[in-house]
Amino acid sequence: MMRTVIDLWVGAQTWLFETFVSPVLFALNLMEWFEPAFNAVEFVMLGVFQILVILLVMRVLERRWGVESGDERLIGVDRVYTVLNKLGIIPLLVFVLAYPITQEIEHLVRVMGFTPPSLERLIPGLYDNALLSFLLYFALYDLAAYWLHRAQHRFGWWWALHSLHHSQRRVTVWTDDRNHVLDDLLVNIVLAVFAQFVGVQPTDFVLILIVGRLVESWSHANIDLPSWWLSERLLVGPRFHRLHHARADVADPHVHDHNFAPVLPIWDIMFGTARFGEKYRPTGVDDAEVDADNDRGWLGQQATGFKRFFAALLPRASWTAQRR
Amino acid sequence: MKEAVIAALALVLGASCIARADQVIVLNSDEASYSVLSRGLRTEVNRLPIGREPHHLIPTPDGKELLIASTITNELVALDIVTGERKRTIRGIIDAYQLGFSPDGKWFVAAAYRLDHVDIYRYDGDFKLAGRIFIDGLPSHMAFDSESKTVFVTLQQSGKVVAFDLETQLIKWNTEIGKAPAGIVMLPDGKRLLVALTGEDSIVTMDPKDGSVIGRLKTGRGAHNFWPKGDGRHWFLSNRVEGTVTLIDTQQMQVVATVRIPGGPDCMDITPDGKELWVTQRFLRRVAIVDLATMKVSGSIPTGKSPHGVFILKAPALTPSPVRAASNEPAPK
Repeated sequence: MMRTVIDLWVGAQTWLFETFVSPVLFALNLMEWFEPAFNAVEFVMLGVFQILVILLVMRVLERRWGVESGDERLIGVDRVYTVLNKLGIIPLLVFVLAYPITQEIEHLVRVMGFTPPSLERLIPGLYDNALLSFLLYFALYDLAAYWLHRAQHRFGWWWALHSLHHSQRRVTVWTDDRNHVLDDLLVNIVLAVFAQFVGVQPTDFVLILIVGRLVESWSHANIDLPSWWLSERLLVGPRFHRLHHARADVADPHVHDHNFAPVLPIWDIMFGTARFGEKYRPTGVDDAEVDADNDRGWLGQQATGFKRFFAALLPRASWTAQRR
Repeated sequence: MKEAVIAALALVLGASCIARADQVIVLNSDEASYSVLSRGLRTEVNRLPIGREPHHLIPTPDGKELLIASTITNELVALDIVTGERKRTIRGIIDAYQLGFSPDGKWFVAAAYRLDHVDIYRYDGDFKLAGRIFIDGLPSHMAFDSESKTVFVTLQQSGKVVAFDLETQLIKWNTEIGKAPAGIVMLPDGKRLLVALTGEDSIVTMDPKDGSVIGRLKTGRGAHNFWPKGDGRHWFLSNRVEGTVTLIDTQQMQVVATVRIPGGPDCMDITPDGKELWVTQRFLRRVAIVDLATMKVSGSIPTGKSPHGVFILKAPALTPSPVRAASNEPAPK
């Protein structure tokens, strides 16, 4: 059964690659990208799968048990972000920009004799337990993402970019991919280097990304489902993550600085940033300049994000980041 | 019922964790594992862990060990060439992608494809680095001259073949020959090098003395890797873009047969009886078996992700002359 699924999957991947991608690589003399391009086709296929899950499962649940109502038009731009990301357009751009940097880092450390470690070497027996190995790598990757997320809120210049993600007043399952391309680039460089050093295996890396991204899409859902004490602490869900997107106010000005974890709430619990069991609150930011993103399309948001970023880098920042 | 018997046999074989002489090692380059296939049962009997990104494998000059190179974890793992038992790990062989031993068995060369260097080691059972040559252009496959004085390395990105003196590690010549040169073999006459152009649909013939191009033969799009038929005259060639394997008569310099192998065919090995050619299908996660009497695919065995190097374990009596560069020198007979 499993083999049949694999054969169907790689059969479709091979057909797509040999029909549409391979001839282009051959014609443009880009044969050194033959294998990576084949893997990229799988990435796009998985992206289509994710979009289908969002459309056919998450959106249906969201419509049935939605919490907030409001201007549906605000969601449209998030759909654009999702399609651009899941179909590999933004990731390809990010890869092209990040590759020379991550490659140079890899060259430097490996020519110096550094061998990327692997958990399998540190923990005997892990070789023979694929599931445990996957879970451990997943947890490590999630921990790195937790601290990255904290950095996005901690540094003014990074918040200038990341605030775009928080500016949405109608947070839904489409919102996860709403990010500035420069923000995506920074996050990807750090995580790619981290993966190199920690030794996440390539196959696991793709699986980690896909599982993580589905959970993250779900955690943005505009939905109120019953949750249990234990389940809330095991896996990030809409109730937990929605507090992170809650609009700050005078009574609770630092509400964004909680519930950072992408998938595993354990990191927020361990590092004292977790808040559980709170009521649903309106989402967005209490900064009029950032809130104006809601009136912009994809291009306008990206352009404004760049402006905010460069302004935040100036010695006397003309754009004062309100990290809330 | 038949399937149940096969499954039971596979379990018994797999549980033993020992690959026997009728078995085949396949490296799953995207999975950090290698598959052990049974030739008789035509199924995968075991999948074992190895360092990350294992691409190629080669027997040692004494014919006792099979070395598997893991590029990302900078190591070679030595298996017993008959039983497949793991014997030792050699660390610090950086980014060993393609591997080769000189015909006299005194030199070991590793091409670091990602890191753009060629490492030349003196070999006496241990590996002593004689020189590391940094060279742009994705160093890839290699071949040696019969005197064990020169190694010829293809540079896929820069479209060149470069000849290094093994003793001095200096460049003898450096010739641009076409798009994405990959597989390279020295023919038994010692006067011709064949080089496959993966960015084109041809192979070229070169003079090993000065690197001049002396001929060209159209084969198939994505001409990539050679494997000898074993008669000193015919070589198989995988064409990765076209999805075929062609059989080339190197005396007449013509294609004498072509077989369709879908899914990016790459490395090959031939059974000791000369009846079957086993070809890795990188994209389909399978190994195809070609019946050489009919030149048709007679089977395809599932493996792990991106199967690359393949090696058919031989019985001791069948391995008198194991010296060969990975994937491109005459197979032991």
